[in-house]
Amino acid sequence: MAELSAVSSFLVAAVGLAVPLALAALGETVTQRTGVINIGLEGSVIWGALGGALGALAAGSYAGLACGVSTGALAALCFALFAVRLGTNQIITGTAVTIGSLGFTGAVFQSRFGATGIALELPTVAALEVPLLSDIPILGPALFNQAAPAYVAYLLAPLLAWLLFRTRWGLALRAVGESPDAAYAAGVPVIRTRLLATVFGGALAGLAGAHLSLVHTGTFAENMSAGKGFIAIAVVVLGRWSPWGVVAAALFFGAAEALQFALQAWDSELPYPLFLALPYLLSLAALVGWFGRARAPGGLGSQWPRARG
Amino acid sequence: MSPGEIHGLIGENGAGKTTLARILGGLVAPDSGKVRIGGRAVELSGARQARALGVAMVHQHFSLVPSFTGLENISLLDPGAWNRRGAAARGYRERVEARARELRLAVELDQPVGGLGVGARQRIEVLKALMPDPRVLLLDEPTAVLAPQEVDGLLAVLRRVADAGGAVVLVAHKLDEVLAVATRVTVLRRGRRVLTTEVADTSAPELAEAMVGSEVAGSASSSRRRGAPRMPGEVCPRAARLAGVHARRDGREALRGVALEVRRGEIVGIAGVDGNGQRTLAAVLAGVQRPDEGEAELPPEVGWIPQDRTEEGLVGEFTITENVALALHGQPALRSGPWLDWRGVGEAALGVMREMEVQAEGAEMVASALSGGNQQRVVVGRELLRSGSLLVAESPTRGLDVKATAAVRARIRELAASGDEAPGIVLISTDLDEVLELADRTLVLVRGRLLEIAPGERTHRAIGRAMLGAQRVGNDW
Repeated sequence: MAELSAVSSFLVAAVGLAVPLALAALGETVTQRTGVINIGLEGSVIWGALGGALGALAAGSYAGLACGVSTGALAALCFALFAVRLGTNQIITGTAVTIGSLGFTGAVFQSRFGATGIALELPTVAALEVPLLSDIPILGPALFNQAAPAYVAYLLAPLLAWLLFRTRWGLALRAVGESPDAAYAAGVPVIRTRLLATVFGGALAGLAGAHLSLVHTGTFAENMSAGKGFIAIAVVVLGRWSPWGVVAAALFFGAAEALQFALQAWDSELPYPLFLALPYLLSLAALVGWFGRARAPGGLGSQWPRARG
Repeated sequence: MSPGEIHGLIGENGAGKTTLARILGGLVAPDSGKVRIGGRAVELSGARQARALGVAMVHQHFSLVPSFTGLENISLLDPGAWNRRGAAARGYRERVEARARELRLAVELDQPVGGLGVGARQRIEVLKALMPDPRVLLLDEPTAVLAPQEVDGLLAVLRRVADAGGAVVLVAHKLDEVLAVATRVTVLRRGRRVLTTEVADTSAPELAEAMVGSEVAGSASSSRRRGAPRMPGEVCPRAARLAGVHARRDGREALRGVALEVRRGEIVGIAGVDGNGQRTLAAVLAGVQRPDEGEAELPPEVGWIPQDRTEEGLVGEFTITENVALALHGQPALRSGPWLDWRGVGEAALGVMREMEVQAEGAEMVASALSGGNQQRVVVGRELLRSGSLLVAESPTRGLDVKATAAVRARIRELAASGDEAPGIVLISTDLDEVLELADRTLVLVRGRLLEIAPGERTHRAIGRAMLGAQRVGNDW
């Protein structure tokens, strides 16, 4: 029975760690499907974490989540205004947004709370137990005794899959990502589609950030996003730009991270950074096509309208 | 094939012309069989090797780097452009210019080719293929985008290449061009050679019959019949109106004060040498580009057959059905809220394929897997469905074979004559014959301005003069 509960608590941790990745990666999937690669996602995550913290202090934990969504969306809007509206290079703009956000959130945090080193105590978002479903052995508590953002992710995956592949909006959105010229000729507003998709991605990354500060830790620390935004981009690629694939890839990364924590606790002979590196090695394997080749949207990373001459 | 020969390769869309040319050009390995060059069986494994063996190719879809200038594109694959240390060879520019003069190809060497019109890009493509003086020159439908005098110029270039001992393979749709220039001709149908003969021993009807099989031989010689001209006093409702329109493309002024009125049921033909503002005019009429100045009254839904079907017409990675859905997704009949009526779209896609006789394995086939001609058929069929009260057709038969060309032209005429529901049709084409055959009125687009041709002056010569007066090379938006 002890073993069973060890497995169970491992799964709880794995799902919990996967949730922010899944949220940010689902948003980024929509963004990338329009041909925009938002490297500034990390910026949206850290802004979401700070926004969540400030919102939670002001008006409670759920207001914090909403606040994190908005600050994450605003950071993505910044990126989109430059990279989509003004046509600046997406990679450079995204990097600037990430670095700027990490610095700026730190500055805001210090000016509000001072650099005392005393951990901030935030009202956290409690786990919600889904009746009946959470009684399923082993998987039940892992999947259905999580905080609200987890359920958002569960609902979003099928919803986005349906939106992207079954609706006319999804069709127009994918056309923008595959071939902006053809989409434009068919009357799809390319710039507006890209702007909205990027802001949507930022909003979900913001929720992921708020999840970090309000569910995982109950505090805010500078740089606490710790590369989650970048991992989410890897998750999108590993998940092959499909919502279901992205959820599976996020679970995989979450499990790897949980395993690494578990191994640290177990004092195994293997050095734990080895396990930390495993998901990235597998991502590289996915990129070179070991699991069958994934094809990125045709217009990914491209400016539109193209600069001619 | 022997040196000095110009070999015409003709056939319908999907007959295998492009594939055969790509095998010769080293881009596709044959599943079986051998290629012999200079008596030796060779295995071609790439364009570079084919080039080293003296085979040069001019592609149907351009293989130029858009952000490079003409000269940079030409020098890219030409070993003669570089000296031993890999630096630009001295005097290369002069050699290119000399070759261009010798072949009488007017090319713009210093503009990025992405900003040039199709005709101008093609001249660079041809010059690029001819710089290393190849033994075999392959051209895949090179005349599809050229103005009449440019076609004559190109055919003369080919003759000069053949006279100098080169062998030329010309993949073409237009029988008269093949007959005018080729010494021998091969007809392909559905991947098989059905006929190879000396041009002197054959005739247009015989070739047409060989191309399409016996059933439609009659339609090969393009019909001269025009749609019935409108009665002068007859006033149909207006479909679209432009007044004093100025618009830019890539920072250059492409339209300079264009006025145009299109009534429902009429076909307005706009002739002109490629690169005089056609693409901008089409984008403005289609409602996707707003004019910088002036007024544009347009209907909410406009059918648009764009010039560049692979870039603007279709999403290559989408299926035929999805591509049809993309253009029709705004139509009330096919949607309810966020839903798309996929069954309705699927039927529409099958309808397009039937109507236009698209050769594909089904509506779920990915667009990029279709041959160029079949892609064009999908675009045309779809846009004919989409046009409400206005259809903008840019070179709608570019790259189509005789049979498909006749079918598209017949559909356009039919659409214009479909009574009160008929759309106004703007036909923008560099093919003067097409404009004269279809249009009720003719205008010439010259350096961003429209000249109306009086009904009495609708002759090749008068229009050609108006077009030529405008002919500028290269930087011609």
